[in-house]
Amino acid sequence: MAAYILRRVLWGVVLLVLVSLLTFAIFYVLPSADPAQLRAGRDASPATLHQIRVSLGLDKPLTVQYWTFLKHLVLHADLGYSYFSGASVGSLLLDRLPATISLTLGAVVIWLLAAVPLGVVSAVRRGTWVDKLTTGGALLGVSMPVYWLGLVALYLFANDIGKLPLLPGAGSYVPFTHDPWKWLTSLILPWLVLASTFAAVYARLLRGNMIEVLSEDYVRTARANGLSERRVVWRHGLRAAVTPLVTLAGLDVGLLLGGAVLTETVFGIPGIGRLNYDAITHADYPLIQGTVLLAAIFVIVANILVDVAYAYLDPRVRET
Amino acid sequence: MRRSANRALSLVSLCIAAAIALSACGSSTTTGGTGASADNGAGGHRGGSLTVLTSQDMASLDPGITYASLDLNVLAATERTLYTYAPNDPSNIAPDLAAGPPQISPDGRTLTVKIRSGVRFGPPVNREVTSRDVAYAIERGFNPHVANPYASTYYGDIVGADRATGGPIPGIQTPDDHTIVFKLTRPTASLLAQATVLPLDAPVPPEYAKPFDAKAPSTYANNVVSTGPYMYAADRGGRVLGTGYVPGRSVRLVRNPSWSAGGDKRPAYLNAITIEIGGSPTVSGRQVLAGRGLVLADSPTPELVKRAYLHNRSQIYFSPGAGTNYAALNTAIAPFDDADLRKAVAAELDRQQMRTVRGGAVVGDSGSHFLYPGVLGFEQAGGQQGTGVDFLANPQGDRALAARYMKAAGYPSGKYTGGQTVQIVGLAGAPDSDDAQIFQQALQDLGFKTTLKLVDSTVMYARFCGLPKARVQACPNVGWIRDFADPQTVLDVAFNGNDIFPENNPNWPQLNDPAINRAMARAELTVGTQQRANAWGTIDRMITATAAAIPWLWDRQPNIFAANVRCVPELWNQGHCDFAYTSLK
Amino acid sequence: MSVGAPGLLAQEDRVERAFETALPRSPWQLFRARLRADKVALAALGTIVALVLIAIFAPLVVKLAGAPGPNVQDRSAVDAFGTPLGPSSGHIFGVDPLGRDVFSRTVYGARVSLLVGIVGTGVAVLLGVTVGLLAGYYRGWVDTLLSRLVDVVLSFPVLLLGIGIASACSLGNGCVAGAVTPGVRTVILVVALVSWTSIARIVRGQVLSLREREFVVAARSLGASNRRIVLREILPNLTAPIIVYSSLLLPQTILLEAALSFLGVGVAPPTASWGWMLADAADNFDTQWWYMVFPGAALLLTVLAFNLLGDGLRDALDPRTER
Repeated sequence: MAAYILRRVLWGVVLLVLVSLLTFAIFYVLPSADPAQLRAGRDASPATLHQIRVSLGLDKPLTVQYWTFLKHLVLHADLGYSYFSGASVGSLLLDRLPATISLTLGAVVIWLLAAVPLGVVSAVRRGTWVDKLTTGGALLGVSMPVYWLGLVALYLFANDIGKLPLLPGAGSYVPFTHDPWKWLTSLILPWLVLASTFAAVYARLLRGNMIEVLSEDYVRTARANGLSERRVVWRHGLRAAVTPLVTLAGLDVGLLLGGAVLTETVFGIPGIGRLNYDAITHADYPLIQGTVLLAAIFVIVANILVDVAYAYLDPRVRET
Repeated sequence: MRRSANRALSLVSLCIAAAIALSACGSSTTTGGTGASADNGAGGHRGGSLTVLTSQDMASLDPGITYASLDLNVLAATERTLYTYAPNDPSNIAPDLAAGPPQISPDGRTLTVKIRSGVRFGPPVNREVTSRDVAYAIERGFNPHVANPYASTYYGDIVGADRATGGPIPGIQTPDDHTIVFKLTRPTASLLAQATVLPLDAPVPPEYAKPFDAKAPSTYANNVVSTGPYMYAADRGGRVLGTGYVPGRSVRLVRNPSWSAGGDKRPAYLNAITIEIGGSPTVSGRQVLAGRGLVLADSPTPELVKRAYLHNRSQIYFSPGAGTNYAALNTAIAPFDDADLRKAVAAELDRQQMRTVRGGAVVGDSGSHFLYPGVLGFEQAGGQQGTGVDFLANPQGDRALAARYMKAAGYPSGKYTGGQTVQIVGLAGAPDSDDAQIFQQALQDLGFKTTLKLVDSTVMYARFCGLPKARVQACPNVGWIRDFADPQTVLDVAFNGNDIFPENNPNWPQLNDPAINRAMARAELTVGTQQRANAWGTIDRMITATAAAIPWLWDRQPNIFAANVRCVPELWNQGHCDFAYTSLK
Repeated sequence: MSVGAPGLLAQEDRVERAFETALPRSPWQLFRARLRADKVALAALGTIVALVLIAIFAPLVVKLAGAPGPNVQDRSAVDAFGTPLGPSSGHIFGVDPLGRDVFSRTVYGARVSLLVGIVGTGVAVLLGVTVGLLAGYYRGWVDTLLSRLVDVVLSFPVLLLGIGIASACSLGNGCVAGAVTPGVRTVILVVALVSWTSIARIVRGQVLSLREREFVVAARSLGASNRRIVLREILPNLTAPIIVYSSLLLPQTILLEAALSFLGVGVAPPTASWGWMLADAADNFDTQWWYMVFPGAALLLTVLAFNLLGDGLRDALDPRTER
């Protein structure tokens, strides 16, 4: 088991290097804004520009620049400085992380709480109006562009511009440490919007799994043995049906921690996704690299955790 | 109010600005209404805190780097430059750190400034400011780790500045702690005195800043020290980053304990100023109109301008003379190396509609040349009537005239058949993107095939419009605003043929007209207000006649604030509330 | 995927398990019978056909409705403050701040959505099937290499990858030595590049089990070339999962295109795109609701129709579905 985990972690590290290399290639080799020009003025001479490039190490060959980047990252945990604001990339990431974590964790709780009962009920009461309503609603949820739903939600419920001003709208996010109550209320709309799409996917998935599981032999046996239907569904059925969901939730959380650009944009939440998007529009390469790496770390860690959990449950996996 | 990073080129969005006396504007303004009137702020209530909402981050806190509108706004409250403008007088420099008016030698090659005593740096430096601190501030502007955007433009005539890289400059002398002398290679001392309103000369303590300036890039911004009535909140060691400034999130200004009200004209009524960064202008604008203690530092959306203008007239101020917006046509490459094609485009373009999408007549006049209302030389260039060129006579465009120019260019059908696809690069985000699309439509109506790319303003200037090798043919969203009260700051850098650089080029149309270049060389050395107005007014006419750039708006920047804010607009900038003069009712 | 398409992972799982056992060669009659009985899927198919027709004949549709073209800037439909007018008899869906007819732009927007959706999915499927076939059939280092490549792409924040490539390729003459020009082609490339991985995984899994089946072993012992085995023996058996997965992927690519346009890196203006319209509308959606509602509803309807059809196809092709 330890060897398996070690192998996975090592591969994770290699993946990170590959991701950083790919980022480097896409955003650096392909044209981006020239950081020397970002810093220099409208009348800076080519000589000044050259000096700035030298001082930023931009005159070196790309391979050397990449190597320097890796060295700083590994030896000093240093991701460099934003070309745009001059702040260290690490501090910018740390500053934005709480918002993204808040958004993700709240949303995952909501979508699981919504999807599990809906999925189970519609599976058990197949073909009834409850099922039809759930599957229909879920399909609608899957088809809804999240930013559009966000705009509609703001149009309806935001307390600054909404028709039914109930909840704080865009740009109202405050850190938890600042004001827990405001933090909570400001995140309700984004949580619901972000969770709706996922809830729809999960409810659909759970319904399918549940129907399959309930037709399996051992469940039939349990039923035949006179166990109450409730017990059959909740004890035997749900446990088997929900496992793939938990796996999926792990992966989705990993993805979302890397930033939910669209939701963050619509609701003005200062998170990682927005940071990355801004970095790209400003062609701020060190910040792009930092945000992409952070997102990749979350995805990779989530994958490892999920795989290790699987391996723990199913020893055969370790061999492959 | 898009900020354009350190490279500031102006655009309406950025930088420095100013308008001449209000009366001049009033008389020259033909259309549009005004909102609240400009106030000098006297007798305001002391205390309270102001919150500024903006979608754009600061470009830099470093007085040696910054050149963007919001930054200048902040620095006007935290720094003391040699000379400055009172918020309601954008044409006459007034002593700030200086103890009296500038002394200019008869040959115009020496500028001597006496420095006020008793001005102290804020914590953690807490010592008295000397002339050496001013000298160091300017010298570090030439240090590539700092790389000030306008140092060589306005301080370039100082003896030895052409070789400066951050060390002492021979032409800057400090005979005693309260005297600074600038020796110049050309007789431009009066222009230099005016240029000191820009923040580069705000004193920087060398013993404190040198270690930061040794880093590439300089980290002085993270530890910046104030001399004005306000300072960034900072930790004990003076570190601002993370305390007084969180990039992309907030700026917090508090009172500077080392500042004394005696010897400073700024009343500094407010106890604290917080800038919240990142909200969308739509939402923030509504919050400002409905809230208390709030001002908006972005351009309000047309919808908000309309609402404020119709329902909250006392909460909106239209700042006169906030710059000229224009479309630059690349004169260096096909197809717009042909002057007749450029004139056809100018004649076709519906400049009035470009204004309408920004909020209509209230936000400015459809421009017809480059020196805008309030700038010296505006009247000499033709004033509101324009310079008289036919292709700019009708702000809604003149199709018949455009067709005539197309014919003159060799396209008898009135449609372009040259097969060249025109690359247009504009600004993303409404209303700028709408302006770009109106421009694109005009080209398409003339038969051009076009591609339009919309980007952030930093990228637009650095990667496209300011980079000749990008071979962009048209930049409809560029603009220029004066750095201080002299027409040279509007026309020289933007249209001088000697200022075409392979990168970082501010002459976006790449206009290189020997007659214009010669006229500019003469006008730079012209002395006397009336003479300069005549010289630069004539140059404006010459530039306009080339149609290398099509002026489409003389901006009257709208600014909105909450009902209980007594806003004192900075007329030398874009009319935002001056933090050091504004108070709460 | 973190943002636009949370469903893909889940759907991948469903598809994979639905086709654990490869279909017998010719279940088409059963398939057709099942699909014909599925009224919802038929209605969705009808909607899609209608949408495709609207997209193809957009100029005609706009003309019949008496609306101006999608890029006609009607100065009179905007007031003196630049506020566009809402729905009226002249502009049934209202106009945007440039005075362009929202109905007309919504109709033309279908072109971009469907084109990028269909071609983008097609390219992604082609890429994914090729990689999956190679990895699954050859195994060994080919498999390792390709699977690792999939890993790398999957650990990238997909939408951000898209934004990056889109901004890089929409400059000047495009990228990849001019092969990818700015505009729709760039968007198709981006959409395909971020969507091919899941189908590659599914195909690889299927091929791994198929290559051990009797008919493949038999073909191999008869001396058939690898190429022949892959194309003649294995690929036909993958038709069903490929169809189902493509139909589930299609609505996701449509959403991805709209998301890219919403973020300002999609097709170039003035081309009408629903995502673009929504991004524009976001500035003033509280007062100019029509600008947000109509393109949003069109997008929702299109994606919903494809999702319903995808569900129907899956049920009809799934050998285990009981009826």
